[in-house]
Amino acid sequence: MRKNILMSAWIALALLLAVGIFMQQESGAGTEPSATASGKSESTSCVYPKEFMKSHHMQVLDEWRHDSVREGDRIHVTPDGREFEKSLNTCLDCHSRNKMFCFMCHQYANVKPTCWNCHLSPMEVTK
Amino acid sequence: MKKVLSPLFIVAVLALIPYVGVEYAGLDYLFGVVIPYMAAGVLVLGVAYRLVDWLRRPVPYTITSTCGQEKSLDWIRQDRIESPSKRWHAVVRVLSEVLFFRSLFRNNKAELRKGPDLVYGSHKWLWLAGLVFHWSLLVIVLRHARFFYYALPWPIGIIEGVDRFLDVTVPALYITDITVLLGVSYLVFRRLQDAKMRILSLQTDYFPLFLIIGIVLAGISMRYVTKVDVMPVKSLAMGLTEFSLEPPERIGALFYVHLFLVCSLAIYFPFSKLMHMGAIFISPTRIMLNNSREKQHKNPWNTPIRFRTYTEYEEEFRDKMKKAGIPVEKE
Repeated sequence: MRKNILMSAWIALALLLAVGIFMQQESGAGTEPSATASGKSESTSCVYPKEFMKSHHMQVLDEWRHDSVREGDRIHVTPDGREFEKSLNTCLDCHSRNKMFCFMCHQYANVKPTCWNCHLSPMEVTK
Repeated sequence: MKKVLSPLFIVAVLALIPYVGVEYAGLDYLFGVVIPYMAAGVLVLGVAYRLVDWLRRPVPYTITSTCGQEKSLDWIRQDRIESPSKRWHAVVRVLSEVLFFRSLFRNNKAELRKGPDLVYGSHKWLWLAGLVFHWSLLVIVLRHARFFYYALPWPIGIIEGVDRFLDVTVPALYITDITVLLGVSYLVFRRLQDAKMRILSLQTDYFPLFLIIGIVLAGISMRYVTKVDVMPVKSLAMGLTEFSLEPPERIGALFYVHLFLVCSLAIYFPFSKLMHMGAIFISPTRIMLNNSREKQHKNPWNTPIRFRTYTEYEEEFRDKMKKAGIPVEKE
């Protein structure tokens, strides 16, 4: 009985160690972010259709954050071949022309985005 | 098995009705405006009717259920919550029941073991799952206030903040979304897993559980998976609070599934065992005081009895009594 417990403890420890090393490697293997995309986008239409963005923009932003910060993949290519930098600034290039663009809906729906925990919100930027 | 499958089938049909209705027949107005008002009306009037009906029933004598020492001589310690003799004792008892399911904490389980031995043991899982389930539902309902207010009241803001504090996934994962599913799953599992419970359980036990699972799944999917644009939802909800009859803007069909299941629950509510929500506050065995040795309780439906005292009797017959030589109290 005691032997069994000891054995399983060893196995568990070994597994834990293996997983730990594996994780270490993975986090070390991340590529450097390359900011090659053009700064300002000249596009007149959004990265996805308007209807889609209305309901899914938070997921797109989350995906972009993950891709650019964790994977170093900073280029978003739309189905019709336009390229955008995966950055909140890409959104704000167009959408901060109206300072209240985010806040109108978010206030109305009582939804607090977490963007402005780190990023400067258009309200805080003096132009 | 029919007892489980038929409510499941009914819930599936209920979920399908608004989907077909909105997607193929364009009945947005019916499912977005007419039915919600109707459901709210049935819920409010139905619950009020049943509570008033219960409150009007006369209670012949104290029928409080006790499991503690009644108030007695000074040197005997009273169990004030189990055997309340003052109003606020009873209030504490009811509130501890409502908030913490106190009596369910004493839940135990009988099991036939090999031998055969009948074994009794404490069984807290129902208490735990029930508590988790009910509290999660409460938090979820309160959270929905964000659709009905322009500026969110601060207590609800705090509740929402706590609920999403794990801050994983976008939109932020609500803890109660997980816990309500865990709770309700256990409640279903509990009924299915034990032969005794399977016999005891009826369609009316499974139906509300399945209905709530349906509502929760539709809601969760709407938030995290099959997204719905929240703006028309908000304007519809605001319209409903202002009793407006404006037709809703275009919203995804999944929203109507969620809403229609909620309406079904609201309509079903006053006619079902879900009334325990109101009944717990007025249940005589819970709210009455165990003071039948201190105070006389009159049966409210006793007809008044005309008593005749001996004094009155003697007043009437004094002269005759004196003549017959019967002793009288007053000369």
